[in-house]
Order: sequence, then C-alpha cells, then structure tokens
Amino acid sequence: MEKLTSPIKYNYLNKMKKLLIALVILISAKLTYAQDLVKKIPANAFTVATIKGNNVFKLMFVKDFNESFVGKKLLAETSKSLDKNFTSIEDFGINLDKNMYYFNQLNDSITYNCFLIPLKDANKFESLINNKENKINTNGDIRTMILPDSTSIIKWNNNMMYFVTGSIKSSFFADSVKSAKYGIKDVRFQSKYDYANDSAVVAVDSTYITTIDEPVMVEDVEAPPVIKAKVQKKAVTKKGAISKAKAKKGSAKRKATAKAKKVQPKIVEEEEAVIMTDTMGDDTTVTKNYDEQYDEYQKERAEQDAKMKRLAFVWMTEQADKVFAGNYESIENNKSYTSSLDNKAIAELWVSSLQDVYNSIAPEFGTYGKAGIMKGYGSLNAKLFMDGKSFRISTGLELAKEQADAYKKIMNRKLNKKFLKYVDSEKAIGFMGYSIDTKAYLEEFPKLIKQTYGSFLGKSLDEEIELGIDLFSILLDEEAVSEVIKGDALFVINGLNSKDVTYTSYEYDDDYNRKEVTKTKKETLPDFLFMFSSEDNRLMNKLIKYGINKSYVSVKENIYKIEEKKSPVDIYFMIKDGIVFFGNSLIEMQSISNNSFNASPSKMHKNLLAKNNFSFLFNAKNLVGKVPSEEFGGEETAKKFNETLGKMGNVYMKSNPIKGNLVSADISAEIPNGHENALKYLFSLIENAAK
Amino acid sequence: MNLKQFYKLLLFLVIVPILSSCFEVVEEISMRNDGTGDVLLTINLSQSKTKIASVMLLDSVQGYKVPSKQKIQQELAEAVAYLKKAEGITNVKSTADFNNYIATISFTFKDVSNINNITKNILARQKIKATNTSSYSYNKAAKTFSRKYQSVSTAKTEFNKLKNQDKAVFNGANYTSIYRFETPIASASNPLSNLSKTKKAVMLKSRITDLINGKINVSNQIQLSK
Repeated sequence: MEKLTSPIKYNYLNKMKKLLIALVILISAKLTYAQDLVKKIPANAFTVATIKGNNVFKLMFVKDFNESFVGKKLLAETSKSLDKNFTSIEDFGINLDKNMYYFNQLNDSITYNCFLIPLKDANKFESLINNKENKINTNGDIRTMILPDSTSIIKWNNNMMYFVTGSIKSSFFADSVKSAKYGIKDVRFQSKYDYANDSAVVAVDSTYITTIDEPVMVEDVEAPPVIKAKVQKKAVTKKGAISKAKAKKGSAKRKATAKAKKVQPKIVEEEEAVIMTDTMGDDTTVTKNYDEQYDEYQKERAEQDAKMKRLAFVWMTEQADKVFAGNYESIENNKSYTSSLDNKAIAELWVSSLQDVYNSIAPEFGTYGKAGIMKGYGSLNAKLFMDGKSFRISTGLELAKEQADAYKKIMNRKLNKKFLKYVDSEKAIGFMGYSIDTKAYLEEFPKLIKQTYGSFLGKSLDEEIELGIDLFSILLDEEAVSEVIKGDALFVINGLNSKDVTYTSYEYDDDYNRKEVTKTKKETLPDFLFMFSSEDNRLMNKLIKYGINKSYVSVKENIYKIEEKKSPVDIYFMIKDGIVFFGNSLIEMQSISNNSFNASPSKMHKNLLAKNNFSFLFNAKNLVGKVPSEEFGGEETAKKFNETLGKMGNVYMKSNPIKGNLVSADISAEIPNGHENALKYLFSLIENAAK
Repeated sequence: MNLKQFYKLLLFLVIVPILSSCFEVVEEISMRNDGTGDVLLTINLSQSKTKIASVMLLDSVQGYKVPSKQKIQQELAEAVAYLKKAEGITNVKSTADFNNYIATISFTFKDVSNINNITKNILARQKIKATNTSSYSYNKAAKTFSRKYQSVSTAKTEFNKLKNQDKAVFNGANYTSIYRFETPIASASNPLSNLSKTKKAVMLKSRITDLINGKINVSNQIQLSK
C-alpha cells in the first residue's frame, strides 16, 4: 500500500541529494551527470538485478574487451546480423560506466520483465535498428518502438533505454468473475453433452453481461493492480502544493475516465460479438457435431487470447510511460534493497521476499497456495565480486525475527579447537567443518517445523502439531543428547595414499590353457578423517560392546575396526579426549592414538574452520600428480586431469555470523597465478573452452 | 552421517571423477575334431574391485543405475535358462564371484554354428544392441575353423555420443579370444593372432575401445593341418 508521507520525504531527500550532487560535481569538475537508473525502478519491484558497468570495466578496459575472444565474437555477430561494421561495444551507444538493471513486477494478473539500460549516444543505439523510420515513434525526445507481435515495448531518450515485456497470468483469467471485468471469457472445451447441461457457463455469462455498464470495471481495465498500487504523480505539480494523497487519487480517476472514453467503444463492440456467439452456442451446440464444436472452440479461444494480448499491451504501455516518467517512489526507498547493496560488487541480485514470491506463484499450485510455507523468510540477495585474487559470490537471506533468533541460538557454537591440529594443510585436499548447538537445535527445531508446516497443514491440525511438539520434547532429553553429540564435526582428507591391492588375472601355458594368478597393483585412495565431539561416551561404549559381541567390530589396542565385507575400504574408529574419530588409515589412527600425529594447519585454514559455523574447502593443487596415471586409464587423461587441477586455486565456502536478521554465506574461488584479475581469467577460460 | 553417506562423500570426492576401470573379457572355444566343443566366457572386473565395490554402494553413477547383486544374479540366471533351451547347447553353467567381481558362463555345443546369434540374442533380451555381427563355422572335411566378424558402424557412433567420462570406463578394458584344437594349426589368417608353443591354440588380444571403433578386426580363418 502507498505510504502517504513518503513522497514528501522523498522529495525532500531528493532535494538534499541534488544539492550534494551539485557539490560533488563542482568538486570533481565533472561536466555531465546522468542519474543512476535505479531511481526508475518502482519500490514494489519484485526482483532487481544489476550489472555494474563501472566495476566491470575497471577490471577490463573497453579496449581489452573489444580485443578479447568474447568481445570479438560479439562484435562480429552483431555486425553480421545488422550488416554493419562495429569495432567497439561503445558503438552500441550504451553508457558502459553506469549500472544496467533488470527488474520485474508481479501481481495476480500480469508479470512485467523490464530492462533499464543507460545510454551514452542515442544515435548509435538507434543505428542498431534496421528500417527505423517505420518503427520508431517520436514524441519530444522520447522515442518508442513496439516489437512485432506487440509483446514488448522499447522506449528511450538520450540517457536511457527501457525495455518491457509483459505476460498475462492465465490463472487470473481462469477466474471467470475477474476475467469478465475485462471482457474476457475463460473458454473451455466441452463436449455437447456436458455443454448442454452446464448451467455454470450460463451463470458466468450473465455476470459478465450485467457488469459491462459498471464504470468501476472500466477503471479496472485502465489501471491494472500493479500500476494502481503505485503513486501516480503525473498530473501532480512537482512543487507538492496540493495534498499528495488527494492529488493522486484525483489524477488516477481523471486519467482513467479520459482514457475510458477512448477505449470503451472498442470493448463494447467486442463484448457484443461475444454475446452473439454465446446465444448462438446455446441454441445450436447440442445439435452440432463434435468437430464443428471444436472448431468453434478454437476460434473463440483465439479471440479471447487476442483480447488478453491487447489488454496486456494496454497495461504495458501504461507501465512503460510511468517508469519512463519515473515520478513515483523508487526502490531506493526500500531499506531491504538498499542494505543489500555493495559498492564493490560487479553484479547484484535482490529478490524482495521469498514469502511473497511463493504467494505470488502459489495460485498456480492450487489449494496449497494459501499456506505460507515460506513464512518467516524475507528478501534474498546475491552479489558477485571479482578482484585480483578470486571470484566470490555472497548470498544473504533475511529472516523474520523469531526465525533469526532461533538460528542465532542454534549457531551459538564454535568448532572444537582440538580438531584443528588434525588438519594437515600441506597435504589436505579438502575439509568440511560444521558446528551447531545440538541442545538449542533440538529445542528450536519443533518451533521451526511448526512455523513452516503449521500453516501448510491448516488450522485444523494446530492442536495435533502442538501435541507432537510436546511429545518430542518429553521423549528427548535435549541436554543428554547434546552431551553425546555436541554438534560440531570435521571431515578432512589429509592427502592420498597408495596401497597394494590384489586382483585376479590369467596366465596362459604352452597350450593357451589359462591359469588363474593373483597379481598386486597399487591403488590410490584418499585418507579421510572424520571427528565429532562427544562428552558422554556411555552410549558409544555400549554400542561398541554390542558390535564386538556380534563381531561387527574388532578391536586392537584402542582402535576399533568395522568388519564390513562390502566396504571397499577399511574403516577404523576410536574415542579420545572427548572426540570420536573415524578414518580409513590405520597409520593415521595410530598416530592420533599415541599423540604423534604431526600436522600444521595453516592460518587460513584455522580461521576458516574456527570462525564459521560452516566451512568447506577444496584444494585441487594437492591432488596434482598424486594419482598414478594408470588409474586414469592412460597418460593422456592423467596429464589433462593434472593440468586442470594445477590451474585451480582454492575453492571454499563459509557461512557468516547472523547479522541482525540476515543469514549469509560466501563461496570463493581463487584464481591461479599469472592472471591479472578474475574477470580476465574468466574470459580466458571461455576462450579456452570455445577452442 | 552414517557410514553409507560417508562412502558417498568419499566416492564423489575422488573415485567417481576418474572412473576408468580395468576389466577383461575372455572368450575361449575348445574345438574337438568331431566338430563339438566347449565355450567359456569370462568377464573379470577384479582389477577394479575397489571401484566396483564403491559403485555398488551407490544407487547410480554418472547417470546410470547401478544394478544390485540380486539383479546381476537374476540376469545371469536368465541367460543360463535361455542357453539351456538353445539348440545344440548342453551342460550350461555359470559362476559369479562377488568378492573379486568375476563372472563366467560355460556350455558345450554340438556344432560351433550353434553359438552364432546367441550373444546377440542374450544382449537383445537385455535391450542392448549388439556391437558386432559375428559368426563361427567349422568345416570337418576341410579342417577349417573360421570366425567372421564385422563391427557395426552404429556401435562406433553410439560410443562417440557418450560423454568422455563415460568413455573412460572402457579405456583399460581388454578382450581376449582363445581357440583351442586337437590338431595342430597350419595357418591363421589374422596377423594379430598368436600361435601357442604347441601350435594347437590361437590367441588374439585387443582393446575393447579398438573393437568398438572398428580399428581392429578379429575375423580369423584357421587352417588345421591335415
């Protein structure tokens, strides 16, 4: 809903901003200033994606881009298809120093997909259009082009280009009452038998006939929900002398009636046509044969589709005009959006709210739509960073306060520091660590379940859910469980080891009679180690005792071995210093047992593991040359594999601490040495892949 | 995390990406002078047993469903049942060793031509298109044994459609055929074939990828001394 105060505040802020900008211009002595197009994005946009031209072309000059494989290909292809000769992407007229945006707006009846592209040279941009004389409609400095089939509109002036394409939601028009308001019928094919008996069809028609004359409906045609919800200030004087709220309403109405005059006769005409076919249908369908009925249905269906398309076009035109005029509350006033931004990002994505996303697509899921399964999940954002060292994607999800508090409690544990000495950074191929507070988890888990599924299952089951939760709490002694499994664990692969494996082969005698022989070969397997903290070992000990009695487990000194024939590797385990260890290397286990495990975790690895609730690292370099080439099935494959691995830097992932109500995680991939930055490296990868 | 999940993690980290396995297929035919003889078919995957054991723990690998031990045994039993009904075939036996991953099928034939089409039909029952057409004949009077082999071009195209990582599975795979006779061999037409010291047996070894790609032809015309 509209905020009555915001336009005033917005205007005030805008003045302040302009003042500041003027100052900045004076100081930096920049002569031109084109405002960032974010101002054009309406506050109720659903998804906003940004490519930050400035940051991109900092990493790679336009000249370098033009000369790159991708650049050359792009220029060559566009030149070819438009029969022109482009030598630089600057020839497209786009302002590469500014941000480009994609956004969409959703409501129950239409989805708009929109692009906002900053222009530097509108003439150059226009040169991309063939036969422009016939296609472009000029009004002042605003030029409009309607794409064939009227499904999209492009509008531009000297500073920006706006592209919009709208798609009507069929679910909206499946609701006959709603669709009738727009003179559209939901046509369904029915055989003559049920058609004759279907009184519902007639009923729908009557609603639709009676509503034609109501002026309210006409206004609805003019103002689809998305636009209506927005602040319309077109007719309002910018000085803001009149009360905004009043002016808004007034202007909307004036406009609606003004336009209604233009469009109304057309609509009425269409409706009459529909009524005629309807009456014909009622009288004669029973006697008509199936094929004729089907043809008629097809015809009618096409008519209705055309109507929907016209309606979409009317809505789209209006939306484009508004966005272009830009006199409404912009997304800049959306705190969730602005707080998701980062100056250094190359590209950004923001989705307003998972709950809203779910609810907006939910009607298409049928009855489950009403259940807010995404309840408690707010906006989502992702940012891409590239620099001289790595690629990084940072993602964040806003939670409802209750949810965030629950997660904070669950995340309130750090990895057992003792784990760190078992990470051999020199050799480690990878590791994964996580830590949660088991007790908090078990306590919070039922609440989270209730929140998510409670609404899903409906009010009628509330009591049962409550009962289940209580039962869960009674049966489980959270405290006791958390003593057995504290909630932190580390999985680490400290390198590869080769071991001798026997296999059966054949030898042949002088008569080529075969003899079975046992041969041995070296096989390389990763040495893994898995550990978790446990302070109460009674249950474990009982389990071990049971395992030994049933010969599932054997023991030597204090190292246990799992006797499982199917297992391709031997698995050992032991309990030491409040840690339960699992591993496949007896040597490693023995050295842990007698305190001779010699490893030196690097600072980076230590930080990654100790400071985050979840972390993952894969160091491909430590795999290079460790696997004998026979195991790849040949020198060549092995060489390729090693080359690829050698080029890979560390890949790692981590969860960040919850800030406010925001949970976030980062994934990073380091680039190999010898590359200036991640973007250039990416381009070289694309080039190599295309070769 | 239970043990099975452990393995899965392990497998995905190291074993699966380099799933090239060594295995051998051995086809042995022992001909008697009267035209009857024995066949022993062996598929030996023991060189890759760690990998196979790992793969058997998975439901599917690289998009292919991994058959269970029961499924493999059942299919072997079906093949045996089929052979038992085939004309001129007797004494059908099969073995399956799931510790070393070796399976065999053996049987006795009345005439070597009895085995023509058998492999093809068995494969067809499993909905696998045969990769070659192969026929055997033995002429008692002329004392000639011949194997006519023609690789099917579609096999090559189908094989090339596979992803590289799937092709790699066949990289270390070998095919060996051995034909034994009661009479010494005078000549064998295939230059790739080797004669045993006693001159009573012929062996031909080749890589399975070469067979699929049609690089090697295992046709052979064997003339026994009269």
